[in-house]
Amino acid sequence: MAMIEVTGLSKRYRDRIAVEDLTFGVPEGEILGFLGPNGAGKSTTMRILAGYLPASSGTVKVAGFDVFEEPYEVKRRIGYLPETPPLYPEMTVRGYLKFVASIKGVRRGQMAAELERVAHATGVADVLERLIQNLSKGYRQRVGVAQALLGNPPVLILDEPTEGLDPSQRAEVRQLIKGLAGQHTVILSTHILSEVTMTCERVLILNQGRMVAFDEIRNLAHALGQGDQTSLEDIFLKLTAA
Amino acid sequence: MRNALAIARKELGIYFSTPWAYVVFTAMLGISSFFFVNLLATFKEVQGLARVYGWARLPPEYGLFKNLTDGIVVQLWDVIGVITLFVAPFLSMRLFAEEKRNRTFELLMTAPVRPWEIVLGKYLGGVGVIWATLGLTIIFPITLSLFGSSESGTALEWSTVTLGFAGLLLWGATCLGVGMFVSSLTESQMLAAFLTFAILLPWMLLRGLAQSADEPWRSIANHLSFSSQLSTLSRGVLDLKALVFFLSVILFSLLLTHRTVEAQRWA
Repeated sequence: MAMIEVTGLSKRYRDRIAVEDLTFGVPEGEILGFLGPNGAGKSTTMRILAGYLPASSGTVKVAGFDVFEEPYEVKRRIGYLPETPPLYPEMTVRGYLKFVASIKGVRRGQMAAELERVAHATGVADVLERLIQNLSKGYRQRVGVAQALLGNPPVLILDEPTEGLDPSQRAEVRQLIKGLAGQHTVILSTHILSEVTMTCERVLILNQGRMVAFDEIRNLAHALGQGDQTSLEDIFLKLTAA
Repeated sequence: MRNALAIARKELGIYFSTPWAYVVFTAMLGISSFFFVNLLATFKEVQGLARVYGWARLPPEYGLFKNLTDGIVVQLWDVIGVITLFVAPFLSMRLFAEEKRNRTFELLMTAPVRPWEIVLGKYLGGVGVIWATLGLTIIFPITLSLFGSSESGTALEWSTVTLGFAGLLLWGATCLGVGMFVSSLTESQMLAAFLTFAILLPWMLLRGLAQSADEPWRSIANHLSFSSQLSTLSRGVLDLKALVFFLSVILFSLLLTHRTVEAQRWA
């Protein structure tokens, strides 16, 4: 059974179609690259998967639970990093992570250990006592990733987790995400295609709300009549040139 | 309930980590101190007149100043009720509007938290701050009881003072409830504050505005007016109708806010 099952998903805003008839599944433990140009419908799809937005039609199931029928069960199993990290600037990093951990159901007795785990994994341990408003963009992004990891959810939906990070921070977060494979199912959206090549086996490419590809990167290269040396960027440009 | 309390704690923490709460505290204490000193001066003046001419020869409305409770505290509670009307929108405006503007609403809505827990948590946090603001004003009756005196021995009639103060707390909680609902409708904090004030002020003045209306409208307006309900409580009258009225407005505001938050799932 796929950990994430999306069937015939569409989202319309009055006369504009954001996502149209999207169907795909992600098995447990896979990291799926979720690609597309700006405005292709990636963030909308991720918001629907995370239970923030309702779909106009179609179904989304996470771990067998329908996101609309049983949102609470789905949300308990998802760690979500939106495009803009949802941070409270007036709080300290520790206070913020503590708050998120408590609403994610982390028990009081496990709180300190859980905070330590995600703080070390995301490299924010040295800024725990600082106010979020005083952090650099890179650190804010890492705090955003840290909140998604709290509670060790089996599914992670990460919308541009390396946005604003410098190359070395990006490499660290990439290693972190790679390390999640196997135990976590991850949907990873990013514009940095080299990152996807290094992290994901399969990619889903959206263009103007429609799925234009969903396969392993090398299969896509073959399907497009190009060799193994073709970069994901070439594939992406070819498929989204509409 | 655990989630609601976590959200309430977070709200309280944010209120006290920004200048807002302290600005509101200062404004409340500053303005109410001004009125307290004025009432005190009037009280002393009327008492002086009464000593010279006797109460019987003074206008009947001066009878209020026969004791500190009616002469100062009850009137001060009325004034603080009006100040609350101005202060509450500034405390409630950020509750949802700021979350939506900062995109943190997405965090709450994608966490395993039920909409009613979000609403209750935010309400409790907001009520905590407005009650802390109103709590500061208890200093005025305490000052009177320490330094004042009366023929009966105790300077103040504490049952009246306490009930009036409880009425104020209820009034603050009502303003906050209405303000929170308005805040859930917009991303703009200033718009939320303005609309809350625009709802609360005419509601407060409903009794006066309807004086020239015919029956039964005048009676209906009297019953629905905040000032009518508040004035009975601030005079120390335990009026069940007023209690039910304020609690109904609070509950209705919470239900409407819940509907607005729930509506996010249908957007």
